[in-house]
Amino acid sequence: MTAAGWVTMIIALVVVWGGVIWCFRKVLETPQEEKAPPGFGA
Amino acid sequence: MASAQQEQWGTKLGVILAVAGSAVGLGNFLRFPGQAAANGGGAFLIPYFAALLLLGIPIGWAEWAMGRYGGKKGFHSAPGIMGLMARNSAGRYLGVIGVLIPLGVSFYYVFIEAWTFGYFLKFLTGGVGIDVSAPIADQAATASAFYNSFTGTAQDGVLFTGDSKLTIISWIIVFTLNIFFVFRGLSKGIEKFCSYAMPAMAVLAVIVLVRVLTLGTPDPNLPDQNVVNGLGYMWNPNYSKLGDFQTWLAAAGQIFFSLSVGFGVIINYASYMKRNDDVALSGLTASATNELFEVGFGGMITLTAAFVFLGVSGTTAAVATGSFGLGFSTLPVVFAHMGPIGNMVGAAWFFMLFLAAITSSLSMYQPAVALLKESLGWSHQKATAGIAALGTIGAILTLWFTQGGAFWSTVDFWVGTYLIFIMAGVQIIYFAWVFGIDRGWKEIHNGASIQIPPVFKFIMKYVAPVYLIIVFVGFTVQNLAASVRASWASTGSRVGMITIGATLLFLILVVRSGQARWRREGRDLNDTQPAD
Repeated sequence: MTAAGWVTMIIALVVVWGGVIWCFRKVLETPQEEKAPPGFGA
Repeated sequence: MASAQQEQWGTKLGVILAVAGSAVGLGNFLRFPGQAAANGGGAFLIPYFAALLLLGIPIGWAEWAMGRYGGKKGFHSAPGIMGLMARNSAGRYLGVIGVLIPLGVSFYYVFIEAWTFGYFLKFLTGGVGIDVSAPIADQAATASAFYNSFTGTAQDGVLFTGDSKLTIISWIIVFTLNIFFVFRGLSKGIEKFCSYAMPAMAVLAVIVLVRVLTLGTPDPNLPDQNVVNGLGYMWNPNYSKLGDFQTWLAAAGQIFFSLSVGFGVIINYASYMKRNDDVALSGLTASATNELFEVGFGGMITLTAAFVFLGVSGTTAAVATGSFGLGFSTLPVVFAHMGPIGNMVGAAWFFMLFLAAITSSLSMYQPAVALLKESLGWSHQKATAGIAALGTIGAILTLWFTQGGAFWSTVDFWVGTYLIFIMAGVQIIYFAWVFGIDRGWKEIHNGASIQIPPVFKFIMKYVAPVYLIIVFVGFTVQNLAASVRASWASTGSRVGMITIGATLLFLILVVRSGQARWRREGRDLNDTQPAD
């Protein structure tokens, strides 16, 4: 594996792992809207 | 007027995992690495991420926003929602494509899903009979013979008349599972299944990845065939490929098909969100999840494993056989070389592929179920039974006309590839130019917990449509003539074309009936009143 190969692979992995971690953290930080109790309609 | 009792997702995470499950499929693990290796290795990632930012994510956001907007007006089918966007019947009839694609693809996709399940069963019970002491060519021949027999590619009808019924049994099991989860409904069925299947898929991917990365140099006599060189095969960049239009076309195509934009699923799934649920972050998260499976797992596992056992020439030959050849003929040879745990790694791999496939196929039935419900006023149970009946007819044709894969590859080209370009183009043009980019931008940000950079407004209005048209023209020039010829070349392909036509006609009649029904009910089908 060339040095350019290592650099490309590491950047790509940082982007995809970083992206998914950032997104899921943000989703989980946002408060979940409470579900209406049954019988109250949609 | 929206219907009084609408189905909804149970949680925010639920819809994200369901959409990500729909997007993550066999292509993430089998198609992406082959495309990357053949088109510049690491350099492929430049046009790939460019297409993600300029095409995949923006069109995805438009689709999420359109779906949620349609849901506010009580529409869940692509025809209903596209009619709102276009404000006329033409939009509704173009929206038929958004149901034809997932339904048509489901006919053969569940068949391929049955392969993953059947291979999983085989590896769980001892593998596919490869003798690792035989010459490598003989091992490859054994794996290919099993694949050809399992998929019935030699002759039409052989899956029904041949000795082994494993393919049919596998299909019955996976089709029944699909219908069971769709029958249970959106939240209790699809959402619940994806909430378990997606983490399970990630765990299995990590297990297989760790095993592959710790293979070292399995054969000391072949010191070049090691993990690091295997990674190099996939990742070493060849920047000269960036000057080749084919590389940019392949990258855009990969992003496009991988993210499921223009497939008719996101628009349907998003319509079940609550009116202020976040579509901006949800869309981004689903795309990010897809990229993790594609680049982070698919890009690390498949070719690396093939390389350490087969070397440069063997891996290049495997890539040339295409995604299915790589996954179902080459990798069984690789697993056979992994020693005593090879069968378990193989079982984990094929079960992971099965989960990737079933979370995708589940999403293919829901758009058609939604259309039957809202167009014909059918109950969920009746609509699911109707789609199960249609799916069975489509599957029987797929299972019978297996010679050379002519039937399913014809449906795959026209419905699962060509129409996706058209659907995505129609969607982004309706959203940015007819619904209006200012209104659309506001709709995307309604309830959003992130602010999308304003440059994406420009990208959605100008760059994405132009990019899409260039890719579509390039794809057409490259494939259309040969595909038209192939579509009439055999009985299987002709039956495939007739199946597409018959399904299209059926869906048009359903939409026609639905349109009359919505008018009678006084619904705002042309979006003349505010949604909020």
